[in-house]
Amino acid sequence: MPRRLLALVAAVATLTALGVASPAAAEPLESGPWTAYSPSFSVQERGCGVVNGLTFQLTCSTASGDQRAERRYATYSTGVRQFEGYFRITSMPGTRISLKQTFGPSGPFFMLAVERGGRLYAVHGGTTLATGATVGATVRVNTVHNTGNGAHRTYINGSNRHSQTGGSGGYYDKFGAYRTNSGAGPATVVWSGVQFWQK
Amino acid sequence: MKALPVLLALAVAGCGAAPSTPEPATAVRLTATLTTPIDIRLEWTGEEAGATGQIVEFATAPEGPWTILQFMPPEQRAYEHPDLMPQTPFHYRVRPLHGPASSEVDVRFTGVPYPEPANVDVAWADPRRLPGARAGGHPLRGGGAAAAPTDLKATVMTRDAVLFTWADNASDEAGYLVEVRPDGAAAWTVAMMVDPDVTSVGLTALPEERRASFRVRAYYHGASSNVAHRTTGLSR
Repeated sequence: MPRRLLALVAAVATLTALGVASPAAAEPLESGPWTAYSPSFSVQERGCGVVNGLTFQLTCSTASGDQRAERRYATYSTGVRQFEGYFRITSMPGTRISLKQTFGPSGPFFMLAVERGGRLYAVHGGTTLATGATVGATVRVNTVHNTGNGAHRTYINGSNRHSQTGGSGGYYDKFGAYRTNSGAGPATVVWSGVQFWQK
Repeated sequence: MKALPVLLALAVAGCGAAPSTPEPATAVRLTATLTTPIDIRLEWTGEEAGATGQIVEFATAPEGPWTILQFMPPEQRAYEHPDLMPQTPFHYRVRPLHGPASSEVDVRFTGVPYPEPANVDVAWADPRRLPGARAGGHPLRGGGAAAAPTDLKATVMTRDAVLFTWADNASDEAGYLVEVRPDGAAAWTVAMMVDPDVTSVGLTALPEERRASFRVRAYYHGASSNVAHRTTGLSR
């Protein structure tokens, strides 16, 4: 029962032990043909944010200011783009931490966040996307974004949990751990299997 | 665990292309059926003797990576995977879980739940092996009641967080499951999973768990079912 992303925890079971094999074998979702690509990225550490490879930590419980540990990928403005990644919350005494964002020209276009107790939600609008996954287990995230018509879909563990349209211009993907306006750390999030495709 | 195999008479329409080599015999036989172009229903028969639970996993490539969709009691025989990505291959398998649980402990929280964190040190919550914890010396495989975690203790640390510690008696565990049964609930569910050799971890209770029982289970995976495969169609 992946019924929640655990709050205060930190399961550290290895991906292999949990049945998650090498991410290199992943395939894009929805119909193709998709072309894999590797956008460049920058690491953003603000406040008490710490990035170590694909481990993203907010080390403080400060409920104000800019607290972020993220990767910010290169801007795109054409085609259909797909992001795939797997996250594990290995510690989250805090709450309302954004995990993945699709940023638009005028700010965050879509923000996936988790709150204490395990609810995955869309920050803008507050829609519940899923009630999470068992702590220590791995949650798969795919976003598909058509820049032509603005359609943006978010899949959690294969199921479409959020759809929206609108916007135009340049976009980019971000993931890691970021304190939302109503949130606070600490939190540790480990990402894996991050891949990008376009068509 | 119940040993009553449930015979499901559904066709194996969901199994997709035939494998080029015979699959190994497994106790659990899984089928996947498209109930709509983007909804898949899994059903399976059989169970592995002695299993204390099971997980259903999916992948979009036959070799993985696999992601757990649900922890389930051993008697469950079906799972619905809804609103799927269109025109995408989905592969599924069911894996039995084995292993004994500790004795249970009751946890009672008082006061207002979920105080906002404010510069508190919560390092105690990280999963870890406590210094001096003895190495488990009993194999889970082959019965292994002696490999069950013992000395489970629950220490309420905040208005909504509790620290669990236990003794590791297993030599071959894949990890530990922290299981919870809220007061009034009939079933145990998995609240978190941690690495092998961990003997200490913190948990923040959900609102319904402010009066609940907890236990810790050492586990290992049994033999996987066959892999069932379906490709979704166009979205609705």
